[in-house]
Parts: sequence; C-alpha cells; structure tokens
Amino acid sequence: MSTAAQRFLQDAAVKSADLMHREIIRRGMDSYDAAHLKGRARIRDWEAARQKCQEIKREAINHLDRYLLQFEEKVIARGGHVFWAADSEEACAYVKNLATQLGVRTVVKSKSMVTEEIHLSPVLEKAGIKVWETDLGEFIVQLREEPPYHIVTPAMHLNRGQIAKLFREKLDSGITSDDPADLMAVARRKLREAFFAAEMGISGANFLVADAGVIAISTNEGNGRLCTSVPRIHVVVTGIEKVIPRLEDLAVLWPVLATSGTGQGITTYGTLIGGPRRPGEADGPDEFHVVLVDNGRSQLLADAEQREVLHCIRCGACLNICPVFRHVGGHTYGTTYPGPIGSVLTPHLNGIAEFKHLSYASSLCGACTSVCPVKIDLHHHLLQNRRNATAAGATKSSERMMFRAWRSAMLHPWMYALGGWSVRKALRILYRLGLAGSIVDPMRVWNRYRSPVPLPSESFRARWRKDRAAN
Amino acid sequence: MPQTEKAPTDNSSRARILERIRAGLRTVIPEPPAMASEPVILKPVFFERIIFEPISNPLERFQQECVSNLMECALTADSAASARQLSEVLQSLPAGEIFVQDDPSLRRLIEMTTEITTELAAPRRAIRWSSQGAPAEASQATVTLAEALIAQTGSILVTASCGGRGASVVAPCHIVYATTGQLVPDLTTALSRVSQERILDRNSFACVISGSSRTADIEKILVQGAHGPRRLVVILESGG
Repeated sequence: MSTAAQRFLQDAAVKSADLMHREIIRRGMDSYDAAHLKGRARIRDWEAARQKCQEIKREAINHLDRYLLQFEEKVIARGGHVFWAADSEEACAYVKNLATQLGVRTVVKSKSMVTEEIHLSPVLEKAGIKVWETDLGEFIVQLREEPPYHIVTPAMHLNRGQIAKLFREKLDSGITSDDPADLMAVARRKLREAFFAAEMGISGANFLVADAGVIAISTNEGNGRLCTSVPRIHVVVTGIEKVIPRLEDLAVLWPVLATSGTGQGITTYGTLIGGPRRPGEADGPDEFHVVLVDNGRSQLLADAEQREVLHCIRCGACLNICPVFRHVGGHTYGTTYPGPIGSVLTPHLNGIAEFKHLSYASSLCGACTSVCPVKIDLHHHLLQNRRNATAAGATKSSERMMFRAWRSAMLHPWMYALGGWSVRKALRILYRLGLAGSIVDPMRVWNRYRSPVPLPSESFRARWRKDRAAN
Repeated sequence: MPQTEKAPTDNSSRARILERIRAGLRTVIPEPPAMASEPVILKPVFFERIIFEPISNPLERFQQECVSNLMECALTADSAASARQLSEVLQSLPAGEIFVQDDPSLRRLIEMTTEITTELAAPRRAIRWSSQGAPAEASQATVTLAEALIAQTGSILVTASCGGRGASVVAPCHIVYATTGQLVPDLTTALSRVSQERILDRNSFACVISGSSRTADIEKILVQGAHGPRRLVVILESGG
C-alpha cells in the first residue's frame, strides 16, 4: 500500500469520527443544499442549461488548439503576454523571474486552484516575496498554513470561534467578537494595506474567452477586482482547458457556475479583462501576463473515455453532494482537488499508482454525476480508473491471489460450497469468542466499527433446495 | 521593458504543448447519442427548450432582482430628481472625498447636486474626477455611469470607460447613474452587444456587477461588504 493510500485511510477514520467536524460540515452543506435548490428553481430548464454547458465545453475542448491560439492572438495584440507552461516548474519559474526582474516585493493573490496545484506561493516566498491570499477563506487557511479544504469555500471546515481565535493569535490580540461580519472587517482592514502596497496581483481565470480574447473571473468579495485593478502588474495563472469559444457562452455558463457553486443566480462580479491599461484609462496594471498551464492536461485529450474530465468548471457541486466528502472532509484526500472530480483527475495529473486508492473513495452512487453542471460522467470515470489501475498491474499480489481463488471457486461449485461452509463455521467460532473486529477477524474492515452482520444458519444453496422441495 | 521581446522567444514549450494537444485530439471520440437530439439554444426563437424564462417587463424584473441582490434602486423622473437622490445618498455617507467619472452628464448632475447641498447649507465634498487618475483608497463613494443594465440578473455592466477599474470597487459605496433606456432584457443580449460593438477592443476591462461585495466564507453566513462596496446604489432615470 502506498503512503498516500495509508494516509487517506488513517485520516478518513479520524475525520469521520470527529463529531465537531461533522457538525460544521453538515451545517455548511445544509445551507448550500437549500441555496442550490432555490437557485436551480430560478432556471426554467435546468437540464437544458446543463446540456448547453456540456456542448459549449465539448466544442472548446475538441478544438482546444484553435481556441487557445485565437485567445493568445487577441491578448498579444492588446499588449499582453501569453506564456505556455508545460508543467509546474515552468509556470512557477516564469512568475518568479517576472517578479524578481520587475522588483516585486509584495504579491496579492485572488483565489486560484491552479496556483495551488503548481505550488506557486512557496516558490515566490522562497524568493523573498511576501504573498497575501486575499479571498477571505484562502486568507484564513493561509494563516493556518494549510491547503484549502474545498475548491470554492476553502475554510468551510472551521467555525467562527476557531477563526476568531486564529485572528487573535495571528493578526490582533484585541479581537473580541466572533461575528462573521466583524471578522470580515478585520481581514478587510489588513488586506487593504496589502492591496495598495503590492506591485503584483495574481489571479486565476474561470474562463478564457477565445473570440473576445479576454479572461473571465467570477468573485463575490471583490478581492479579485482589487488584485487586477490596483497593482501595476497582473499575472493570470490558469489551465489550458478553461477556454470557451464565444463571449455569449457566458450568458449560460455564468448563471450555471453560480448556481452550482453557491446557489446564487449570478456571482457578484463577472469580470472580463483583455490586457493592460489602455491609454486614456483611469487606472489598471501596466503589464498583463497570462500563464497557460498544461501540467498533464493535454494527455487527457487522447483518452477517449475521459477527455470530458477537461470540461470541469470547478464549481464544487460534486464535492458538496458526495457522501464520502461529507464524511471524510476535504483535507483527507491529500490532493489539490478533493472530492469526486479530484479522485478522477488526480491519478491523471499525479500518477495512477500513487492515487489509485481515490477511485475507491466512492460508493459509485452517482450523486456527483447527477449534479455536474457540464454532465461529466464522474462515477463511471472512477470505475474506469479502477480498471486502468488493475490493467496497469498496480495491484497487490495478495489481491491477485484472492481473485484467482475466487475464480476457481466460481468455476467449481463444490469448492464454492466448501469455502462458504468453512467461512461460516470459522466466523461463528470467532464471533462466539468475542473476536469480531479484532486483528484476526477477516471481516475486520467492516466489524471494527459495527456490530457483525448475523451469520445465516445454512447456505443459500441449502435454502434453495429446501424451498424448491417444499413447493 | 524586457518582457515585450520575451513572449515569442522565451516560449519554448508553446510548440510542444500545441503538438501534444493536436496529437491528443487525433483520438476520435464517437458523438454521444444525446447530442443527436435537438440542440439547446439560449434565445427563445424556434426551438422548444428555453433555458431562462423570457423577460416580459425588463424594468419590473430589474427592480425585483435589485432587491434580491441587496442593491438599492431609486427610480427618478428627471435629472432634478436624480440630483436630489444623489444628494441624499451622499449626505448619508461619512465626510470625505468622492470620486466621479469625468463625463458631461455626471458633471451636470454633480453641479445640480452641489446647488442642493448649498441650499441645505450642508458641507461640500472634495471631488476627484476620473480624468485625474484612479480613485483614492480613502474615497467615501464613487459615482459612475454604466454601459447597460441587465434585467434578468439585476446587474450593471461597466467598462474601463466608466471611470476605470477601481471606480466600481475601491470605495464603500458605488453610485451608478443610469437611464431606463439602458435596460436590456438578459445576459445574452448584453454580451452580444459587447461583442458586436467591439466594446472589449476599446476597453481593457468590463464587469457585470450584481450587487454589493459579499462573502459567505465563514459558516456560509452572508456578510455584505467584503473587499468592495457595502452599498451599490442605482439612480435610474426615466428616458434615455
């Protein structure tokens, strides 16, 4: 078993028994569920909206080269820069060199999962640059020196008391209130200084609009607005799969993203930026750089079954509905992208051998697929990943032996009967001795936390014979 | 600036990534059967599947959406009423400079507002015009125009021409002076207009703003006024 898999099982066991964590997540998810349903009701034909979004993303991904080039041409024509990064190192090196060359000492960041994926902040900080996360949730997890818990609400695992305590320790010992509005005000004051001191703003992009040649960012707090308005340099770090063909596509993607992400009808700020400040404009950065990150995404294009994973718009709906996510929480996954989409994507980005266990962190119930706004067939992709891992030989020899034994038993009825009989006998003795769930119990995984399922007095075959004789 | 020369030269991975993309796309994926059914379109023209409810009364819808977006919308009959409205909003704010988009219509509105203020013997405010640069961090309010108002989502569409980027986000209160003639029914219409009129070729920035700045990052509880304005006020004048 790889260490990532072991860690997952350990953390999952701890988290699912953590009652406070459960309570916080349950409350957060309940309010999301209510908002999400209300939001969906505002759209007359939700299924048509999903289908439209799927069609838009499919068209974009199936012509990815063309749309990226169209986007690039427009941005360069306006005096912006487009850098293509094959992997994390290239992307980080570009941003770091840019910052050093231009004498940047402070960076303000708005929320971007791609910068988490490539681990940009540690690289900048090692170069002596101060990095401020400015989204409230990101700011909180940055102060706690931990990764985001959730791709949309990074600090949803914390309650107000924990956040107030954190702010007292790290920002101002005089904070007495734990009211969310007061805590926001503390963060606002602190981050205002950062916004107006920073030379560089780094943002992500929710969409890259090919025909208009602009990036689209959705934010509620306005931090993304300040990051891209006040500092003299704006760097966008984003994945190549974020491209969409037309500006008008946002007329459906924006409401659907907002509905699936938070239940809002539309996100407060839908910002479109196509380049640096133009002559005559009152403000805006003098430099505009877009870093297009591949980092394993282009490989997925060749996967006939799973190319559509690149359609993902990172709304977080599959995390919110997933019964596994709700119990084990975001950090247990140990990946940048948690939840069903993360379990599908991570083996592609970081290797199937180390992350195949994530394909099993699912009951295959299909709840994720049912809510995905771009209709990604998530649970079938988890199943395919299980198959791929097995085909690639990433299974333990003990597992292979078990399956060989199972195969013989299925081919030889007497062997199956004998096996069933001996297991029933053995378990009965074990349970009578009070050893259910102990280290010698072969059913330990189940029985550790549950009372054992009662053993049948006779085999299925015996019952079948008896019933047939009776009728 | 060294970067101007950099884009074409320093992009050694560009060709490699494009090649990988093209190689990947050579894998043919069979069209899923669902696609064969009728395509979904955004506008209710010929096909049956309509995603969003068509909007019959844009003004009414805009006002409704303003309420749910927690923004203020004041309907005024003429510019004198708009000036009175603006003066009321400004009087409710703490003392300090305000930032105004440098546009003839706003110069007139501010002039009328100043007359009202003088009549009331209220203190006059320092004004910074967008032609003088970005709004100061300490601005109490910003006053701008909008490119359009979107009824479907209760949104205002602003661009860099509306006083710049900071004009709609830096101050705790953003006041928009618009006319009912600027109302468009939905996002599709607004975005089509942006495309057709090549608005993004003339502006480095545009934004669809739907309410005041907010967050729900702590316990999913809504807090109004995060990093941007706590108040978004639309003074909506009949006509235009």
